[in-house]
Amino acid sequence: MKRILVAVAIVIIAVIASLAATAGGALGPLFDGVRSLAEFYLFNVFNAHNATLTAMSPEAVTSIVWDYRGLDTLFETVVFYMAIIGCVALYRGIELVRDGPEVGLSRIVKTVTKILIVVNIAIAASIALHGHLTPGGGFQAGAAMAVAPIIIIVVFSRFFLMKRGVTKEVALSLRSMGLLGIALVALIPLVAWAATGTVAYVMQNQVKIDSSFSFPAYIGNALVSGSLIWYNIFEFLAVTFGFTIVFLLLSVDEKTVKNALRGEEHEH
Amino acid sequence: MADLTMVLLAIFAGISLFFAYLAISERNLVRALIYSAVQSSAFAFVFYLLRAPDIVLVYVPISVGIYPAAILFLIRKTKEVEEP
Repeated sequence: MKRILVAVAIVIIAVIASLAATAGGALGPLFDGVRSLAEFYLFNVFNAHNATLTAMSPEAVTSIVWDYRGLDTLFETVVFYMAIIGCVALYRGIELVRDGPEVGLSRIVKTVTKILIVVNIAIAASIALHGHLTPGGGFQAGAAMAVAPIIIIVVFSRFFLMKRGVTKEVALSLRSMGLLGIALVALIPLVAWAATGTVAYVMQNQVKIDSSFSFPAYIGNALVSGSLIWYNIFEFLAVTFGFTIVFLLLSVDEKTVKNALRGEEHEH
Repeated sequence: MADLTMVLLAIFAGISLFFAYLAISERNLVRALIYSAVQSSAFAFVFYLLRAPDIVLVYVPISVGIYPAAILFLIRKTKEVEEP
């Protein structure tokens, strides 16, 4: 009880002190107008009249992430890729058995989960496919989607997921498909350069001053913002199945892992 | 001056500070993890108030779903209560 009193006192003092400091202007003006950097992006992200600087997407954050600062995001994806590869390498040689007892939690939890999983998948898909229109994007959608396999593993068991085809191999190949897709979309301008001889840059989205290459901003009447929707969809695949692999591996029981490790030692 | 946004920011930051303290001082690891998830939820509100909806969308599933799940798997492989 005494510990909680100390915590409450610390929090109240911190809140009052920070409120007083902020009200006194210690942090400078917050929420005061738009900074010049933000002004540039807000003016240009969806501006068909300024074709050489636009990303043709009303979502400024996704435009910056996959167009203006596209290479940064590409290397972030590489970091994520290496982390998952490290995890898979740690579990090498451990066979994931597909059949096993599906114990799981009670019937109430299972029923609620069945309903929530559908909602989860729908929300994740909408975050990914609307990533170039509303807040969200490939990584956000992948993170939201990755919650589904985790909940299924906890509530139903790992075998429930694997019997229905979501095995380590399937997840690995789907993730590789996502990464390959990202690489291909980044390299499509080079294909255009080879085919027609027009100047084009890697990861280019819309036309530039010296380049007439451009991804189609509209397909039919739907705004797809050039390459942004493709990056979002492939990143969604890569992140979803990257996390799925990690959780399939983490849920392997300790005995299996230890037996596999012991087997390795005997060989030497 | 301190308008409504500032007051809400202070409240959610205060909640997160409180639960961060509880998470650090708690010896039962599962309970500490739940405190940590509550602290993350407060942070999600802070991000929303700071007008970063993109960060909120990635922060909620990571901090409330994936991170506690990963830590729970790890806790299962050790002891539930931390020894002094």
